[in-house]
Amino acid sequence: MSNSEHRWGMAIDLDRCTGCQACVTACHAENNLPLSDPESAAKGRAVHWIRVDRYYEGEFPNIRVKHVPVLCQQCDEAPCEPVCPVYATYHNEEGLNVQVYNRCVGTRYCGNNCPYSVRFFNWFDPVWPSPLELQHNPDVSIRMGGVMEKCTFCIQRIKRSKDDAAAESRPLKDGDVKPACVQSCPAEAMVFGDLNDPGSKVSQLAESGRATRLLEELGTKPKVFYLQKAT
Amino acid sequence: MDRRNFFKIVSTASAGVAATSCGKKEALIPLLVPEHQIAPGEEQWHPSVCTECSAGCGVIVRVMEGERIVERNGQKFRERIASIKKIEGNPLDPVSSGALCARGQAAVQSLYNPDRVRGPMHRTGDRGKAAFSSMSWDDGIAAITKAISATDKSKVVFLTTAPAGSRLAGIQRFLQSIGAPAAYTSSLADFSIERQAAQAVFGWTGMPDYHVSQARYVLGVGADFLGGWVSPVYYGGQFGRFRQGRLGIRGKLVQAESRMSLTAASADEWLPVRPGFEPHLLVAVGRLLLEEKLARAAEQLPPGVTESILGADLQQLIRSTGVDPNVLRRVARELGESEAPLVIGGASVIHSNSFQAIVASHYLNIMLGNVGRRGGPQAPHPASDVAAANPNVVEALKAAQVVFLDGENPVYTLPPSSGVAAALASKTIISFGSFIDDSAAYADVILPSHHPLEAEAAVVAMVGGPATSVAVATPFVRPLYDTRPLEQTLGDIARKLNVAFEPVTAKSFVQPLLPNGETWDNVALRGGLWLEGEANAQPLKPVSKNMQWSDPTFSGDALQFPLQFQPYLSVQYHDGRGANLPWMQELPDPASSAMWGLPVEIDPKTATKLNVATGDWVRVESANGKLDAPAYVHPAALPGVVSMAIGEGHTHYGRYASGRGANPISILAPAQETSTGVLAFGATRVRVARLEQRPSELIQFSPQDREQGPWGHR
Amino acid sequence: MATLPAISSDEGIRRDLWRPLAGASSRYLIVLCVLSAVALWGLVAWGYQLYRGIGVAGIRRPVFWGFYLVDFVFWIGISHAGTLISAILRLTDAGWRKPVTRAAEAITVFALMIGGLFPIIHLGRAWLFFWLFPYPNSRLLWPNVRSPLMWDVTAISTYLTGSTIYLFLPLIPDVAQLAKRATGWRRRMYRMLSLGWTGSDREWNALESAMKLMAGIILAVAVSVHTVVAWDFSMAVAPMWHSSIFGPYFVVGAIFSGIAALLIVMALIRKTMHLEEYLTPHHFNNLAKLLLLMSLLWLYFTVAENLTAWYGNEPKEMNVFGARIRGNFGPYFWVMVLCNFVVPFVLLGIRKLRNILTATIASITVLIGMWLERFLIVVPTLSYGRLAATWGRYTPTWVEISITVATFASMGVLYLVFAKLFPIIAIWEFETQSEHED
Repeated sequence: MSNSEHRWGMAIDLDRCTGCQACVTACHAENNLPLSDPESAAKGRAVHWIRVDRYYEGEFPNIRVKHVPVLCQQCDEAPCEPVCPVYATYHNEEGLNVQVYNRCVGTRYCGNNCPYSVRFFNWFDPVWPSPLELQHNPDVSIRMGGVMEKCTFCIQRIKRSKDDAAAESRPLKDGDVKPACVQSCPAEAMVFGDLNDPGSKVSQLAESGRATRLLEELGTKPKVFYLQKAT
Repeated sequence: MDRRNFFKIVSTASAGVAATSCGKKEALIPLLVPEHQIAPGEEQWHPSVCTECSAGCGVIVRVMEGERIVERNGQKFRERIASIKKIEGNPLDPVSSGALCARGQAAVQSLYNPDRVRGPMHRTGDRGKAAFSSMSWDDGIAAITKAISATDKSKVVFLTTAPAGSRLAGIQRFLQSIGAPAAYTSSLADFSIERQAAQAVFGWTGMPDYHVSQARYVLGVGADFLGGWVSPVYYGGQFGRFRQGRLGIRGKLVQAESRMSLTAASADEWLPVRPGFEPHLLVAVGRLLLEEKLARAAEQLPPGVTESILGADLQQLIRSTGVDPNVLRRVARELGESEAPLVIGGASVIHSNSFQAIVASHYLNIMLGNVGRRGGPQAPHPASDVAAANPNVVEALKAAQVVFLDGENPVYTLPPSSGVAAALASKTIISFGSFIDDSAAYADVILPSHHPLEAEAAVVAMVGGPATSVAVATPFVRPLYDTRPLEQTLGDIARKLNVAFEPVTAKSFVQPLLPNGETWDNVALRGGLWLEGEANAQPLKPVSKNMQWSDPTFSGDALQFPLQFQPYLSVQYHDGRGANLPWMQELPDPASSAMWGLPVEIDPKTATKLNVATGDWVRVESANGKLDAPAYVHPAALPGVVSMAIGEGHTHYGRYASGRGANPISILAPAQETSTGVLAFGATRVRVARLEQRPSELIQFSPQDREQGPWGHR
Repeated sequence: MATLPAISSDEGIRRDLWRPLAGASSRYLIVLCVLSAVALWGLVAWGYQLYRGIGVAGIRRPVFWGFYLVDFVFWIGISHAGTLISAILRLTDAGWRKPVTRAAEAITVFALMIGGLFPIIHLGRAWLFFWLFPYPNSRLLWPNVRSPLMWDVTAISTYLTGSTIYLFLPLIPDVAQLAKRATGWRRRMYRMLSLGWTGSDREWNALESAMKLMAGIILAVAVSVHTVVAWDFSMAVAPMWHSSIFGPYFVVGAIFSGIAALLIVMALIRKTMHLEEYLTPHHFNNLAKLLLLMSLLWLYFTVAENLTAWYGNEPKEMNVFGARIRGNFGPYFWVMVLCNFVVPFVLLGIRKLRNILTATIASITVLIGMWLERFLIVVPTLSYGRLAATWGRYTPTWVEISITVATFASMGVLYLVFAKLFPIIAIWEFETQSEHED
């Protein structure tokens, strides 16, 4: 573990989540995700850095639906990291699994080794019929064909918040940084913050009795905590 | 974006207004010279209003540099412009509370949609074929003026999607000044039954607001308030706090719906009520509450209502709903015993008796003593009474001579069985829309108005009452194309007609609502006028003194058409408007995970009977038409009930929506909700047959909908 | 020895084995042209993929590895033909190996050349493949040695170098002989390749020890190479991949398919080059028995792999297991068992049925079966990941199929050219039988 100032984490309250997928579109808007089309989507190549997994449990009429928003879990013991031969994915000092697009040669090993399947590959150069490209966020680079991409915890927003705080000569406060998905969530089901700060909301939620982690048994030590539904 | 930052970076919000209105003095800027105020890497946030639906979310819009190619005299130039990057909820706005739904965020893709109408056009081909060529604004306005002058003004029909607010007020004023009837809406998402039920029971005009966040126990009936009903953003926020926002208190939601909606999926319990038996379920619950002395305010019920509830045959009622009697009894008891119970009645799917259901839900709230209290239904804000809602739109359209389309798409949202599409063939049709959709394809003239993100507006929130909540937008980017504000076009027409017409601006709309000490500039800067308190609360003055319920009626012979058909409003497409947004097309459907096309949802039993598997194509046939679509075998669908989200099946609506999928409305019977005359889009019977061919694949993001595979682990 | 062809003189041997080198029959040319065309078509497909993007292949999320990785493992497996036959038999001094070794070693080199291409073909940005090599670069970055793919790069380049040397060493005396006879460019080539070989005792001794040494080294490298290839998968936490059995399982599978490939090549050489006297039923019988043994070993590993997964009943593994045995991969699985076990077991296990023809048939089914085995290792695990919502189906496109087919054609082309340039059977091993046998 790093001695860095911050260790970013997220808590997702499944008791609040309504499965509305506002987060999915927020992510598209923030991160210039490549646009799919029917052909690419049919081939399983639609890109959603965050997705809402839905499962039906039981049989009618005693049937329930489970919605689980899944994004990169930013594992501390990330299986995607050691397998990259060219260090295109690595662990930064704030605990993020960072993907360096320019360094990626496209072995896609990281994608195979991600048990959460949150890594997406650019099979072609992305295309936006003009003038849709006017919407592109200049803070986020457009990925070329042949490289992997995935959720970054909106690293550009972390950077902007840090810059803002620095400009005002103050430390970063809990709640200053909000990735696009967290920001957009109507039910406020997602909380983002610094796990190094024991007082942060996310740290406290991570300690809650409802907190679990996805595929915890694999020992990947994700930094996304799921607060299970209370009943 | 928090409040502090928001204030800090909101800059000269009204600077753009002048630039827009003074015509086409467009400076051509060569490469790399930034437009005024736009510096690379620097962001600005401007307040605006989302008009993707009529809930009226206040939003803030991130503006940064962008670059577009323009052609002048055959030469291409790169022009640096201010462009919109992202739309977020305005943290000051009580409706959005800083959040925003998927469709609202995708509004930027309608602004920058490659298929937007780029200037005035007139029809050059047959109606419905969408062949147009451009014309000048002057010619366009002259054509309209000519058409109106030659027409009996009572035969001018103006259809608009505009929510309560300045745009609608302006339209109404225009229609009034030329002597035409008030504007109509043809959307399926106008919730006019809910409004009329509130009027009947409480004497309120507008949508009641439900303070879900302060309730402890919510029984939702027919209202998919976390999905396609009213405002998923507002109620999503309420729901989050209802569940986990109060220390030691967790609200319980029981949802009775004939479909596993997003709300039903999020509920603690789902009661799969048979379609159209929502009134019966509510009356049964009312009866149980009265019987078990759990109706703490039973005395507030009009005597006629109490009588009719007590006169009901409980066993029969419960049996008709299809819900387990023990479960229903328990739910009624839990509801009655709850400290803060709340019943939300709505008609996400409109049946022949939906009005009765909503009326019953209101009486339940009355007997639970929560109306107007914390955690109960609240009166709407009086300013919201201007929403265009008229069930007689079909007749009006048929009788019309001149039809104005402002964002409305009646050819899509009204079933062909109503005869509207056929009737439109002989009208003069003028569209103010930004897209050539199914209806604009019939238009004679298209005079595109500014995109809402380029225009000014004041919108009264559909929820949040009785407090005043008006979101305000002032323009902050230059219009991308040769479009004009609708107000300006209407003004031009009025001038040509020699009619006195004072356009309604956002400012003139908000001004009368301003309390002492508040200024328009402040409101424009913040993006809205939000007042605490309930000064203007509408008093309770019940109109209806009794309550009825009747069995639903369905159009179509039950033997020939054994299945019930439920089109529904989805989070991604709303009433079909969202279908041209690529982000919505690729958003996995919450039920089926379908992308780029919507399936017909069939329950497993019926599917087995029909030998249909997910991905097979089926033909859904009613007495009024048929559609072909892929099937999704929905594990939670009610046996014998076939559902389909509204949104696909546009004949014309740009490259992302045209010719994709099927429109469930297209096979509906022209059935009406009995009490209100509104199109009962859930009252058609169908039969389903498997097709041998698969014209295309059902595209699913997650085809697997169970956590375990069909083999293996035992 | 009974294994040796009953050939009278050195002259006779030379005549027999040099014959194929001279001229080219029209049949040879036609086959060469057809195979070259197919191989070229594969190149076109690859070019198209480079131009348009890797997306023209059918791979998708979550099946990020498809045909290319299957082909990779398959061809690396085939490359084990040479190693085993040549190195093991050379080290154990099995005399009957002599007419077989060069044919086998050539397979190794060519299969490695082909197999080694696949990791590059499969890259998203293939033109940057050299980023996987450790060289001082502008990014001041060395490749990540923790990645099994780096182990692959290391192992395969070592193996290719080693096996090329191993093929080359026994060629030296033969090319020296050829250099004396040939004319024109061939003479120049043979001379260059003969490295000034004169045939002195010192040279013979050096060659013998070099070959022994290389045999030992190459054996170790070969085992490690396929173990490393197996580790590409078993190092991942994916269900049914994360298995300690994969190393030996892959080595056994590799040798299995290698022998099958060798048998097929031998049968073809025997028929087309009229070397019936050199490649006798005895050789086929021995190799067939070896193939049978490997088939049983393969079955043992397959059962061990699947039985433990099934018995363990771990849900995520069972998803993959179920899909493989009963689900949409079921047909492929059972065809694989038929090809890899049932057919070889019946045809080669029953002594009366065992002959050159049945050995060849069994070898062909084994190659099909082993290709399917690799497919069934790579694809189902990726299709049925740990989170059910991410499951997805993989269908290859014409690009992947073209490139796959083209690699078989390339093997043929390389082999045909090789057989035209060099004697496919080591001549000196027969000639010097008397002199060099202890």
